[in-house]
Amino acid sequence: MTTFDQILPRVVESLRPHAASLAGIDRIVINRDLNGKVRLIIPEQVRTDTAIKAVIASIAEELTRRLGAHAFPAAQGVLFEEDLQAITHGRPCLPLESFRNVWIIDRLATEGDWATITPVVKGSPRLVFFSIKGGVGRSTALAASSWALAQSGKRILVLDLDLESPGLSSALLPEERRPAYGIADWLVEDLVDNGDAVFDDLIATSTLAHDGEIYVAPAHGRNPGEYVAKLGRVWMSKPAPDGSREPWSGRLRRLIDAMEARLQPDLILIDSRAGIDEVASCCITDLGARLVLLFAVDGEQTWTGYRLLFRHWRQAGVAREIRERLQLVGAMIPDDERRAAHFEGLRERAWDTFAGDLYDEIPAGEVGGEYWNFEEFDEGAPHYPWAIRWNRGFASLLSLHTRFAAIDPAEVDAVFGPLIRGLLNALPGLGEDHG
Amino acid sequence: MTADYLDAHQRHWDDAERLRGTERWANADHLYGIATECGLKRLMLAFGMTFDVSKGMPAEGKDREHANGIWARYESYRSGHPQGAAYALPAVNPFADWHVSQRYAPQAAFDRTRVEKHRRGAESVSLLVKQAHLEGVI
Repeated sequence: MTTFDQILPRVVESLRPHAASLAGIDRIVINRDLNGKVRLIIPEQVRTDTAIKAVIASIAEELTRRLGAHAFPAAQGVLFEEDLQAITHGRPCLPLESFRNVWIIDRLATEGDWATITPVVKGSPRLVFFSIKGGVGRSTALAASSWALAQSGKRILVLDLDLESPGLSSALLPEERRPAYGIADWLVEDLVDNGDAVFDDLIATSTLAHDGEIYVAPAHGRNPGEYVAKLGRVWMSKPAPDGSREPWSGRLRRLIDAMEARLQPDLILIDSRAGIDEVASCCITDLGARLVLLFAVDGEQTWTGYRLLFRHWRQAGVAREIRERLQLVGAMIPDDERRAAHFEGLRERAWDTFAGDLYDEIPAGEVGGEYWNFEEFDEGAPHYPWAIRWNRGFASLLSLHTRFAAIDPAEVDAVFGPLIRGLLNALPGLGEDHG
Repeated sequence: MTADYLDAHQRHWDDAERLRGTERWANADHLYGIATECGLKRLMLAFGMTFDVSKGMPAEGKDREHANGIWARYESYRSGHPQGAAYALPAVNPFADWHVSQRYAPQAAFDRTRVEKHRRGAESVSLLVKQAHLEGVI
């Protein structure tokens, strides 16, 4: 009985004995469809070559036998296509192990594949706050960062993209200042070209900023309305009149670009959904983020989650495009005598996780200078946690607005200092005051 | 004989292409329309259209349309199905001026311009059928 994870190893086993015969074919695609069933796609030109055709037929039979429920009957298992580039265009295509000319294309039911990395956008830097688990203080840390940066005169735009569990805006806006609409409303209206109807009432300014400004775009408005019905539609891609389509992440990017053009913020802070989720994929890989903060509490669930993600990036061949934007944040570090030991444990496991899949291996006998590799104790390394201490006063988002309204800056510094200093260091130019 | 919309779509498309290659505009035009109808009906089945096996046709009378009418019916199935988002057609129906009764019209009424417009429409359907095949939707 073949199950999903055995598909690719068995495809390799089926192809390997025929590697020499296949070597002359320019490109072969292994198409794994939405249901996880596999077909071979072969260039049309090969169809006239009787010898190769016989090899392909034999491979198709082999795949039917080895893949079981994940294969088609041999007669339906091969498609001949004139233009293989068109089939793979715009979709992540991974090379199959040692085969120079065999590629895998995966058809997913979700748009987010985590492996198409948008380059860092020009303009206001975009920072994403992400965690594998919820409830680790990620949104609170974002609220504190926006408060601290606004205190130094910066204009901060905060986006609540934790659409399925919204709440960040309550930390930054008192009830009466919340805007009429939220990001989910715009995404739904945009489907019918009606985004302008809500755009002007999508953002509120927080009263917490004194010298700078905190603009907040919540997930939903003052009255959430039929939020569940809207949420089920925000992921829609949008067809253009010519039949092409804009993925939902493209629509979201268009919204953020429009907000940026209107408000000219110094920095955009994005609260992402937790976990390996469709929205999180969009926030981390599609919005052109300058920096992605990976919140971690020291537990198996966290490290397993990050390892899955890092491995996916490595296997998809995109780790280099994303890894320099990542920074680990140690969340909920105990504020008592356990602190030092806890931090060391966190750092050690963070290093293991980063070194295993993201850092370059340094070949024996070579020096590390040319490789992207960091020692466990290197304070400037992406795995080295920016530590946030657990603090009872900041543990509830609900009361945060009241809390920030009468806050002692020294207290914010004591809890969030490493995070805020880290942000200022990571974004040169941000620490300089206006004019 | 039972209906096989996928096979019918492919053979009508292939034959339309051959006729176009020899400038047989009238019948090429007719077959681009039929290929479109068959392709869209195959996709509509995937997006929830019910089929009356005993009659060998769509169960709903309003789904028994040719290319000029099926374009809008397709959209109502596509837009109501979770996987339909990736299967949109151009909003303007290129077959609005096509009718199955034009098979009785004289050849002089057909020219390259007319056929190319219908070919583009049929091609957009053909690409969606191919995409659905690769994704395992059909």
